Amino acid sequence: MMDYRVTHSTVYDYSGVVALCHNEALLLPRRLSWQRCADSRLQIQPKPALLEERLDFFGNRVLYFAIQDIHQCLEVEVQTQVSVTTRPLADTSFNKSWEEVIQALWHDPDPEIIEARQFVLNSPFISRNVALADYARASFPAQRPLLDAMVDLNRRINQEFTFDPHFTTLATPLSEVLESRRGVCQDFAHLAIGCLRSLGLAARYVSGYLETRPPPGQPRLVGADASHAWLAVYLPGLGWAEFDPTNDCMSGEQHITLAWGRDYSDVAPLKGVMSGGGSHTLKVGVDVEPLALAMRKNDETLVAVSDVE
Amino acid sequence: MAEAQTTRTQTPVTILTDGYRPDAAVYDEMCSVTGDLRPHWRELVASLEAMGMDTLQRRGDEVQRLLQENGVTYNVYDAPRDAQRPWAVDPIPLLITSEEWAVVETGLEQRARLLNLLLADLYGPHSVIRQGLLPAELIYAHPGFLRSCHQSLAEGQRWLIFHAVDLGRLPDGSFRVLGDRTQSPSGAGYALENRIILARALPNLYRDAPLRRLASFLEAERATLANLAYRNHEQPHVVLLTPGPLNESYFEHAYLANYLSLSLVEGEDLAVRDGRVWLKTLGGLRPVDVILRRVADDYCDPLELRGDSLLGTPGLLQAVRCGGVAIANALGSGIVENAGLMAFLPGLCRHLLGEDLLLPSIDTWWCGTAEDCRYVLEHLDELTIRSILTGQEPWSGALLDKQSKDNLIGQIEANPHLFVGQATVDLSTAPCLEDSQIVPRPIMLRGFAVAVEDGYRVMPGALARVSPGLDDLRVSVQKGGISKDLWVLAEAPQKHVSLLRQAYGPVVATRDGSDLPSRVADNLYWLGRYGERLDGTLRLLREALGQLLELQEQDDADHCLEDLLTVLSPQEEQTVLANRSRFFNFRRQLLILLTDQEAVGSVPHTLAGMLRTGRAVRDHLGEDSWRILNRLHQRVQQTSPSLTAREARESLEGHLTLSAAFAGLNNETIPHHYGWLFMDIGRLLERVLFTLDLFNLAFVSAKNPGVTLWEVVLSTTDNLTVYRRRYRSALHPTAIVDLLLFDEGNPRSIGYQLQRLQNRISRLPHKESTPYRSAEERLVLEAVSILQLADIELLSALDHSTRSIEELARLLERLEQPLSALSDALAHSYFSHAEVPHQLITMMS
Repeated sequence: MMDYRVTHSTVYDYSGVVALCHNEALLLPRRLSWQRCADSRLQIQPKPALLEERLDFFGNRVLYFAIQDIHQCLEVEVQTQVSVTTRPLADTSFNKSWEEVIQALWHDPDPEIIEARQFVLNSPFISRNVALADYARASFPAQRPLLDAMVDLNRRINQEFTFDPHFTTLATPLSEVLESRRGVCQDFAHLAIGCLRSLGLAARYVSGYLETRPPPGQPRLVGADASHAWLAVYLPGLGWAEFDPTNDCMSGEQHITLAWGRDYSDVAPLKGVMSGGGSHTLKVGVDVEPLALAMRKNDETLVAVSDVE
Repeated sequence: MAEAQTTRTQTPVTILTDGYRPDAAVYDEMCSVTGDLRPHWRELVASLEAMGMDTLQRRGDEVQRLLQENGVTYNVYDAPRDAQRPWAVDPIPLLITSEEWAVVETGLEQRARLLNLLLADLYGPHSVIRQGLLPAELIYAHPGFLRSCHQSLAEGQRWLIFHAVDLGRLPDGSFRVLGDRTQSPSGAGYALENRIILARALPNLYRDAPLRRLASFLEAERATLANLAYRNHEQPHVVLLTPGPLNESYFEHAYLANYLSLSLVEGEDLAVRDGRVWLKTLGGLRPVDVILRRVADDYCDPLELRGDSLLGTPGLLQAVRCGGVAIANALGSGIVENAGLMAFLPGLCRHLLGEDLLLPSIDTWWCGTAEDCRYVLEHLDELTIRSILTGQEPWSGALLDKQSKDNLIGQIEANPHLFVGQATVDLSTAPCLEDSQIVPRPIMLRGFAVAVEDGYRVMPGALARVSPGLDDLRVSVQKGGISKDLWVLAEAPQKHVSLLRQAYGPVVATRDGSDLPSRVADNLYWLGRYGERLDGTLRLLREALGQLLELQEQDDADHCLEDLLTVLSPQEEQTVLANRSRFFNFRRQLLILLTDQEAVGSVPHTLAGMLRTGRAVRDHLGEDSWRILNRLHQRVQQTSPSLTAREARESLEGHLTLSAAFAGLNNETIPHHYGWLFMDIGRLLERVLFTLDLFNLAFVSAKNPGVTLWEVVLSTTDNLTVYRRRYRSALHPTAIVDLLLFDEGNPRSIGYQLQRLQNRISRLPHKESTPYRSAEERLVLEAVSILQLADIELLSALDHSTRSIEELARLLERLEQPLSALSDALAHSYFSHAEVPHQLITMMS
């Protein structure tokens, strides 16, 4: 089991004043059988007039807040202590071929399997197409067990694509990522999902954090971490197996889950609509601090979200 | 079939319907297959018979005139801006018996109950999907399924408040549902307006007709809306949210808002604060309890739904979730408009209601199941193919050429779950009046249901729409078209009731004061400005055309057309031309000003501004004002661009009368509260600025200054007679300046106008917290002071001293500055709603 203290801070500076803004944040980590979350400490400046937590369609924890005071800067910092253990499907002996999985998806009346079918469909950022299916095909020869094929696809994306934070933006289409073979974790997750869906499999997008370990002998740099993204593929009857193409691995105890959905558009960390404000600059800082048992600080003020009101 | 047709021609029904030959293959509403009148039509046909064709045709024209004068329009989205299609109504009602209607009534009631339960399930446990009663793809791939709306209503609350269905009648006489409208069904207002207008045009026919009345249904709508409120049960504030005057059925929005006593608002008029919805008014924020929305689901909240929507209000969905406001219909209800659902409704009905579906839908095959997909591909030629994605035109299989067909098959095979095939329907026909003939035309009905305490209540009537030709069976509201009044026959004549003549509950006397929405104030202000600008342009054009006429008679007539054109169309370069071509050039330019909508500053261009702002506040203008404005619009549209100078001047006189009548009527009929104040401020400010412009031209910048131009100034401002009476002498500039600038007793003078402006501005709502003068008050005070402190002596030699002229130029400029700033100050203080909310992040380019 690994314990972390995750701090995610976002600062927006506006060129003009904002009179009213409504926001939605997906910054509270999901509570899962393999992930325990203490109450988050929440700091929002200026103080929101309204703050509500709810679960969205996918079961993610959504934080809605409205700021009704005139402001020119918005700061949102969420700090959560999270314990992650091994995922239930980390070493499954599932050996069905990918064709059998598709058959089950379409014909099994199990309600969970029926529900999973929504993750085969197109979503705002990911459209199935022949190019994606063609790319996937090399890893998916006939009758290959799904998990083997998935490990292979995961490895190929990792090897054949260059991690390049300057190449893509939120608006870069998947076709361009495929063509240029460049992108960031979010693009690679979208790509793998697109490949799987183009074959008829169900796959979903997972957002979260990854503990980054400093090179041996060097100190950890606070705030150098970033949001991370990976994907999960559905195994009928069993559940979701998570893969991280950016790091060529399955997700493990260093992968802290924030939220999941069809693609990035379902899990954007912070959305907002405001009146006024003009242009803005954005600063995001993420810090994933491992808490060794001995070092675990006495966290003085862990405030429950519902108490902040 | 051939036999049936011959039988029909042999037994003409009556003289009136002699040429009436419906297709024997379809159901005709008036005649049976043997060509005989159906019994319930006898009385009506006898009345029409007694009336005679000429009278009927005249009444038909009268209906059309009434509709146009009332401004009943249906905007067509792909038509150019401001192109409105008049709503057309056929004068012959469509009759249906109570027994037949009862089938529709019970069927519609059941369908509304069913769809409501289905919505609650889809946005809650989605058990119908989990249990395999409804394929996951049919819902999850549909753009109308809005995941943000999941569990947004508390359990037991109703999702579907208003429901409408499009109905067609098959050849066997049975009704089929062609489509469901569940987001913001439109048409009930048009049905009501049709009924009212026909009753006016055909009073004898309507007075004694044993037909069921519509008013009680609208009363039920009003009561239902009021009951939705979570608080303020005594006097809930209900608003009708419209996408605005460019929406296709804006007329209906304004009409219903008036009829049901709701505030007509746009998304930008509303703000969400403290989890509640507020209307931005001049007096501050006023809470809203219930929203009747005519904005599509995904446009309602740019935070959680479509981020690029400018029609919605950020935070609205959250306000719904925390019980801050009730919306009819609930956001997300568009998912059950999904055509693919029709294939599954019978099963869902048995599962959710334990009943058999009473009113069947048109035969529908959803391509997501292999078997149905095969059927659709094999029978493509007989079917209509629809994509379940919104906004896509259906394909009529029989009309596709080989290539489009292959293309479509490719699309269906790639994404079968996105397509449905539907049987093509031979709609029933009904008698319609066309060029003094009664002919059978295919019709479709839109029926309406509203939630009431114990279920749903169905309107005892419907909007019947006529397809333009027998070939085009796609009857669509989007495309406009002709409609008919549907009579559901009752046993005996019913009493006429109108909501307009009743009050509900305890009446709280209000004086339409500070709860005026800021946007309405903004539009009224600009309506005032455009109206006055039109008036000024028309007057100046009249003078110019007068001079053109003189020029036509006599080549060397005195004129100042070059100078006038610098004011009328400042963007056009004036060149000096030889005599004859000079005349034609002037005439061309003046006719452009009279008829070309594209030319900035032209009569139609300014009128378009008036209509645009007027429509945005049409619930604040009186019926007669509307009629006049519409008549003016028609006149201007009908002005030919190739008139002679004389004809042009004559046609202009008519424009002027209507323009003046519009201004006068508004003054007489709109209560002199805030709304009127803003309109009057707009008029006064525009008039002052226009007069300053004229002065500047006549005394400072003119190329050919002199008597001709001075005369224009006096007659344009309606002062020539006053001047002559007062001075009984030749025109003298100093006297003119005194009369028009300083004489505060002359209603047309700038001095007088400024005083009125000052008075109006002092009556505007104030920020209570400050004891100081507002920016607007300071600006108008500045203008008044500049004028009052001006040294009149210095201006006394305008006819010969350049010094005097320079002084006047300086005075005019100093007056203009604070007045131009005044418009911005008003916008800043009162109309600042115009600020558009924007997104923190843009996800898709």
